[in-house]
Amino acid sequence: MLKVKETYCTISNLLPNTQYEFWVSALNASGISPPSERAVYVTAPSPPIIKSKKIRSCENAALVCWESGDVNPVDSYTVELSKLTDEENGNTITESIVGIPNCEALIHLQPAQSYRICVKALNLAGSSERSEPVLIHTTGTYFCLNEDTAHPLLAILDDGFTIACDELENLECDLPVYDNSFTRCIGILGSLIPFPGKHYWEVEAEEDTEYRIGVAFENTPRHGYLGANNSSWCMRHIITPSRHKYEFLHSGMTPDIRITVPPTKIGILLDYESYRLSFYNADIAQHLYTFNSHFQHYVHPCFALETPGTLKVHTGITVPPWTTLL
Amino acid sequence: MALKQVSSNKCFEGFQKVFEHDSTELKCKMRFGIYLPPKAETGKCPVLYWLSGLTCTEQNFITKAGFQQAAAEHGLIVVAPDTSPRGCNIEGEDESWDFGTGAGFYVDATEDPWKTNYRMYSYVRDELPKLINANFPTNPERMSVFGHSMGGHGALILALKNPGKYKSVSAFAPICNPMQCQWGKKALGGYLGSDVSKWEAYDATQLVKSYPDSRLDILIDQGKDDQFLSAGQLLPDNFIAACTERKIPVVFRLQQGYDHSYFFIATFINDHIKHHAKFLNA
Repeated sequence: MLKVKETYCTISNLLPNTQYEFWVSALNASGISPPSERAVYVTAPSPPIIKSKKIRSCENAALVCWESGDVNPVDSYTVELSKLTDEENGNTITESIVGIPNCEALIHLQPAQSYRICVKALNLAGSSERSEPVLIHTTGTYFCLNEDTAHPLLAILDDGFTIACDELENLECDLPVYDNSFTRCIGILGSLIPFPGKHYWEVEAEEDTEYRIGVAFENTPRHGYLGANNSSWCMRHIITPSRHKYEFLHSGMTPDIRITVPPTKIGILLDYESYRLSFYNADIAQHLYTFNSHFQHYVHPCFALETPGTLKVHTGITVPPWTTLL
Repeated sequence: MALKQVSSNKCFEGFQKVFEHDSTELKCKMRFGIYLPPKAETGKCPVLYWLSGLTCTEQNFITKAGFQQAAAEHGLIVVAPDTSPRGCNIEGEDESWDFGTGAGFYVDATEDPWKTNYRMYSYVRDELPKLINANFPTNPERMSVFGHSMGGHGALILALKNPGKYKSVSAFAPICNPMQCQWGKKALGGYLGSDVSKWEAYDATQLVKSYPDSRLDILIDQGKDDQFLSAGQLLPDNFIAACTERKIPVVFRLQQGYDHSYFFIATFINDHIKHHAKFLNA
């Protein structure tokens, strides 16, 4: 309750995205009047917070999700994007997507550009301030590693893209296990790649690192090994006493292939349209193997170590021209 | 050099032709198959040379391998010569199927009575490309080679002895180490004489050991049920070991259930055409 002498009053420190009712009573020596009719106002919402670590993008699109800044629901969200150019006024808004009901949006973009993206929340009162912006570069496909899928012995280093396994002892002892993490295979999933078309990424590995790398469905069994079931496809490298051995595993089966130059940078091309998953020695543009598979769902990149070592993942790479034919 | 057209059949909107000419290297009439893709009507195309195996002529590959569709799609001219000089009336040339007629082994013979005519190495490396480039719409800088069995051996030795000349090489069930197998010992001994050091120049496993750089990208397909593999005639393990040592990039695929025949070649020919197209059309 506020006492004022004027016939107007400014009320501050209201909560955002909240409905308020206001009424006035007049006061004189004889007493207080009955209250006026109530005026109902809704305050504008708080700006949303974009989950920048969970952004996924490729050359043609981005999937952005955010959190509402408020507890109460809002009516809708608006995404604003501006293409960054070299000009002075590179901040002009080029596109608005309105009426988004949920906290995520699939935005179509042009290749080889940089965009600044913000989100606003809307309710009856109007629009919130813009959220903190995020920058998206459409040079190639970006994804991040899902910590909650990592086997307890697998660590993600500070750069967010290198995975490491120090030792294979203590495999049986009680380590903290999340519902979603791998329990036997020392592996991790990357975020889902939910965009049609072609996607390319690279994995750097030392010559003596034994690994499995490829793709898997969301529901690939966490108690299983990558490539041993029909929900994952991977290239496996192991070292026998006599030589490097390479397997291309799916449903536990592999063709019999010998590769004379052990790759230390493996290029992986995922082509949803042509139904193929190809592996290359990226340093010499050598094609190694292609799985031809009609992926029924979108897939996650997957990575696993079989010996102590590291794997470094590189994303955001434009699909190289030498992958197009094979 | 006069070319005489022997046959022409339209195939996947291009033409599969066979020509005959008088060879100066081989001193006899020689035939070759040539596939001209649709693109050859309006522009120059790269050339892919196919070398056939023991007992073949210029006919086997063009009628059995089923390569024309992929060649048309990728705009490649494909040339398939015969496997030896013919009708030279050399004593003993028809005695065995793995020596003499149909078994030239892509060498230049130094022994009598073979040295006058049996010069398949020089024929394939020099005379044939010169003839092809003079008579067809080719891009002479863009040339690759592949083959089967004895022709696989031919393709590998041509690529290894001429660094930079061929943009890519691939093989089906090649004879990788002729110095160590029965076929090779018979042929190299017969054509080159008993001095084994002279055989090294025509043995892919030996040649790899002194190959100057590693910019070759080799694809090899081998049937797992190939009778000649189990008979020790092909010896791919020796070649793979040598390439691993010299860091020459090879992808070697052992194909379950496949034998030595053209059914095996037809199954994987598209992968090989695509392998070459990647380098020839780059």
